[in-house]
Amino acid sequence: MAKRIILRLDYCIGCRACEAACRSRFKGEARIRYGEITETVMVPLACRHCDEPLCVAACPFDVIQRDEKTGLVYQSSFLCVGCRSCVLACPFGVMDENLMRGISQKCNLCNDRAEGPRCVATCPTGALQFVEEAELTEKKVGVGFVVRSPGRRRP
Amino acid sequence: MAIKRTTCPFCRNGCEAGVSFDGYQYQMEYLKDAKVNKGKLCPRGNSANLVIDHPKRLAYPLLDGNEIIWEQAIERAKSWLESVEPDEMAVAYSRGLSAQETGLLRGFARFLGTRNLVCGHIEPESCFNYRLAGTGNATLDDIKSAQTILLIGDVFTTSPVASGPMIEACYADRKSRLVVIDSIKTRQAGFANLFLQVKPGTEPFALMALVGLLDKSVSGIDVDRFTELAGLEPDQLRQAAKMLGPGTPGFVGSAMHLGRVRYPVLHSLSSQLVALKAHKPFVGFSEARLPEGLMGFGQFRQAVDEDRIKMVFWFGGLYPYSYPELFPEMAKVEHRVCTSIFRPENTLPGLVLPVPSELEKESIGYSYWGKIERHPLASPYSGTRSVSWIIGQLARIDEIPEELSKPMGMEDVLKMATRTAEIPKDKTDNWLLVGEKKAIGIGGFYDDEQEIFVNPVAAQKLNVTDENFLAVESPSSRNEFRVHVTSAVPDGVLSIGVNAHSNRALFPIETDKESGETAMPPVSVKVEKTTATARPAPEIKAMEF
Repeated sequence: MAKRIILRLDYCIGCRACEAACRSRFKGEARIRYGEITETVMVPLACRHCDEPLCVAACPFDVIQRDEKTGLVYQSSFLCVGCRSCVLACPFGVMDENLMRGISQKCNLCNDRAEGPRCVATCPTGALQFVEEAELTEKKVGVGFVVRSPGRRRP
Repeated sequence: MAIKRTTCPFCRNGCEAGVSFDGYQYQMEYLKDAKVNKGKLCPRGNSANLVIDHPKRLAYPLLDGNEIIWEQAIERAKSWLESVEPDEMAVAYSRGLSAQETGLLRGFARFLGTRNLVCGHIEPESCFNYRLAGTGNATLDDIKSAQTILLIGDVFTTSPVASGPMIEACYADRKSRLVVIDSIKTRQAGFANLFLQVKPGTEPFALMALVGLLDKSVSGIDVDRFTELAGLEPDQLRQAAKMLGPGTPGFVGSAMHLGRVRYPVLHSLSSQLVALKAHKPFVGFSEARLPEGLMGFGQFRQAVDEDRIKMVFWFGGLYPYSYPELFPEMAKVEHRVCTSIFRPENTLPGLVLPVPSELEKESIGYSYWGKIERHPLASPYSGTRSVSWIIGQLARIDEIPEELSKPMGMEDVLKMATRTAEIPKDKTDNWLLVGEKKAIGIGGFYDDEQEIFVNPVAAQKLNVTDENFLAVESPSSRNEFRVHVTSAVPDGVLSIGVNAHSNRALFPIETDKESGETAMPPVSVKVEKTTATARPAPEIKAMEF
């Protein structure tokens, strides 16, 4: 079953532990980054693993592919030539502009780890969660939280 | 794959962290069965695996920057010891030592016959060593069942993992109330039901006014004057006092940051006094707790400045304050011996001895919630020697246990507050620079410390936008920063990150004449828009593995 990272914005304290966990695994490369909404609210940004990923369409060498079973959009970094097409194509701007090792970086939902992504495991307040896609649609989790308190923590 | 477990040494929350080794690299493991943190870790904890095999780890002793062997290093230290009188020696210690090792250092100072034993941890948080009689310590259950929480300073940044249960408590029961007292609108303030934004460095005055409102029977507190000094409205404090009143379970938590606290001793004691009067337990959130030395850091600095110290032993791992930009007087000392985990950059000549990090030692310590044990996550880094081995080569001694100082009474705090309130405030038209932990990480692993926060109104006055650069000049140093316009800071106040040594150097060290405690308070600075296109935006580089 497809699982996704979701964010409960109300719980995020902007400590960037998710980014640190990613850097700690990938030796300095963060595949999750953050944006600032207001001076007190930050939002972690990670790959959405889109249904019709533009990075896949843009990649000239089919380095980035989508697994139809799990919905995971993954990259075989060994084959990447660092042309930045995916960086330009991504509508969410979550692919890194700095090509640290000469290749682009792509979140793979920590598929080397059975328990799920490290950013979710480390999140001190439980703002990031790893849930089934079906559950996500059912509860409208991600959308509900953002809309209820845009930029304000407590309704 | 075998997982090695330990208690994270980077703050005092007592989070359990695990590390596995796959034959190629160390990786963090998130332990869901951990009692305190349930597998959660903050950015500092997450970088533990990077510390263990960091490319800049020091593996050889250095003499004036050149690698030497251990026998030569010990010989050199011994010859220096013989050439100096006991009165002219000093033993200092900072973070990265276990309780046993600081006990050994007390023994070492006694063996040398010197009373110049100094705690070099000059972060204001070391003033949580001052205790108030009658204040209780909060437990984990207090945090989880809290309905009224008072946080002074940025607790969420000091111990992010401890903030998890607090936020849960706030959301689980909508009756829970969070009151925050701080001089900057931090992300923590975004969660507050009531946010009291005080003038930088005046938190103790707001707290003393709160004490006066909570307990009317305490005489000698001029509530109106303290409220005015803190720059607050009387109504705001009355509302806070109403929320904090006895009856509801909760706690008071306090944190202190370098560059943000002007009176650290009073800050610590007044936070505890509020907890006492509100009938709530107290937690002093800090990254490290080190025992007091026999000599204050201020006195030590003065002695060095007056050429009374000829040789300094500086023990401690992560943040050796021997960096010239922080402590320029150290250049006057003839012989310097310090320990380090990383290869120091831009350091003064002298001996630098490599030691294992806290993650490679066995020790016993105390978290906020009780006694903890630390186990080594990896074998000591190749070429390092433990502090006890180094001292063993120089002297035959035993540990001397720490003696806790007597807790202070309420009268002492009232006297101290009144005396502090009478200190005249210098009124200048300059900008006030405060320090903030913008992002937490060890020694600036993750953060961009080249940003300065400027209020939109101030940005108009200075005629700057996000693309411009500002040169900041304080009495002690000068640095350039990229502007970030945000309403997190009030008009007239600028804020910078204080992980980088060059940023810390902007805050001159001030010494309290009476207590001998040092503080690096908010400082009034001159700012100037730099005309040059200035430095390019910092480039993030992959770790050099």
